[in-house]
Amino acid sequence: MLTGDKLGYKLTLNIENITKHYAGPSGAKITVLDGISFKVENEGSNGSLVSIIASFSSGKSTLLKIISGLEKPDSGSIKLNDENITTPTGEIVYIPENPSSFPWMNVADNINFAMRNSGKFNSVKEIVNAVGLAGYEDHFPDDKSLGFRFRISIGRALAAGSKVILLDDPFRRMKSITKDEIYELLRKLINDFGVTFILSTPNITEAVYLSNKIFLMKKNPGKIIDEVKLDAETAAARGLDRQERFLSLRKEIESRFVSIGENLQTEVHF
Amino acid sequence: MNKETAKNKSTLIYVLIYFILWIVLFEFILPVNNILPKPSIVWQSFSALWQDYNLPVNYLNTISSIYLSITAGYFIIHFISPIILNKKNFLTDFIHSLNWFSNFLPGIVIGMMIIFWFPESNYIEFIFVLFTSISSFIIFLQKEISNVPSEYTDAARSLGVSENKINKQVIWNSMQSDFYNHIIDLHLYIWPMIIAFEFIKGGYGLGNIFRLALMYKDLSALFSTFIITGLTIYLGIISIRFFRNKFAYRG
Repeated sequence: MLTGDKLGYKLTLNIENITKHYAGPSGAKITVLDGISFKVENEGSNGSLVSIIASFSSGKSTLLKIISGLEKPDSGSIKLNDENITTPTGEIVYIPENPSSFPWMNVADNINFAMRNSGKFNSVKEIVNAVGLAGYEDHFPDDKSLGFRFRISIGRALAAGSKVILLDDPFRRMKSITKDEIYELLRKLINDFGVTFILSTPNITEAVYLSNKIFLMKKNPGKIIDEVKLDAETAAARGLDRQERFLSLRKEIESRFVSIGENLQTEVHF
Repeated sequence: MNKETAKNKSTLIYVLIYFILWIVLFEFILPVNNILPKPSIVWQSFSALWQDYNLPVNYLNTISSIYLSITAGYFIIHFISPIILNKKNFLTDFIHSLNWFSNFLPGIVIGMMIIFWFPESNYIEFIFVLFTSISSFIIFLQKEISNVPSEYTDAARSLGVSENKINKQVIWNSMQSDFYNHIIDLHLYIWPMIIAFEFIKGGYGLGNIFRLALMYKDLSALFSTFIITGLTIYLGIISIRFFRNKFAYRG
């Protein structure tokens, strides 16, 4: 079995002063992101999960696309281990909210599509084992659940040798049982394989449950308003989702958003 | 039973009713007329078509011109798809400018010019359909790019794979079902055009049989060729749908 030592990446991802404008319907300039700055650091072989909590239409997807190099910011920079990210390279992989595994390819072909020799995984078999799809190599994603398709997307990101995987609100339409399985998968990838995730979500509970660090982002324009550093061991890992610290933190974040006039989701089924 | 099967079934029932009506009306009630031929004479005229009108050669000429050139066009487009799908370039600009002209000039008008320029060429019909197919495919692909779901292209680009690979394996595949539907439409556009082309040019083809049958005022030959043409177009549609269902992802 592959170990964290083999796959862990020591990395520093620096998001510095990202600003993005769009032209509105009347031609007026609309600021979507206003000077967004934060840092994600991993020491040693363990990965981590960093969440960005923001409400709908706050520019979360735009921010993730900029971090991955898919979109260009109007100003600011993205640096991964001091190297500027200006185009997609496969080191930072963006997984969109809608299922993005290709339904005309089976699981193995989907993963092979992104496979690189420079990646940490050497074969499709290793990847399907890591993402829990062993035995499904010949299956097509079209008629399968969102969780199945999500696993393929994660598998493709691993095949591309990504150091950071960006998850754009992936749990919104998943059934609660599927969510549980995916939470478990993320935890396994973080601990056993040293993968780093950045999750964007409007769901406070989800973020508090899964994250090592949380950034709170307001909308109109999108701006980081606070940072919450949690324990190295997440609530999900400790199984502390019903405990006091977890609940009070959730309440604290909710109040912070209410204070700026934004109501976010807190409900999630475990 | 799904909607499509139910619709096909009701269409088939109507076709059978028309067929029986034709037999009853024109075999027994109106045996001599200038509207439609007697069914028994039509049956006999198939053998006359074979011998007097050289049906095998004419038939093969038409269907090879249509289906071989559409197939060749498909594979050529598949081969050059990374160039076509790569935003704007000289080739697509050129085809778009020709498309602008074709808005005002029906395909057969261009066909007549081609007949005038190459009256003796045996291959010009094939080249004409091939060029029409390729132009139509290029314009279709350029229009269809905007309908490819952005989650596929965003995810693929984010993986750091080349644009060529994305064009060939993602964009091309995601639009295959619509591409086959476009081939069905194109095929229905090309058939009358090529019949008219052969009618005007002479030489070989079903269009040439129509011309001769009209010239000889041979109603039964005209009607038999009409049935053969209709059946071939119908089989053509069925075949393209079969390939679509077999090879194209249908989202």
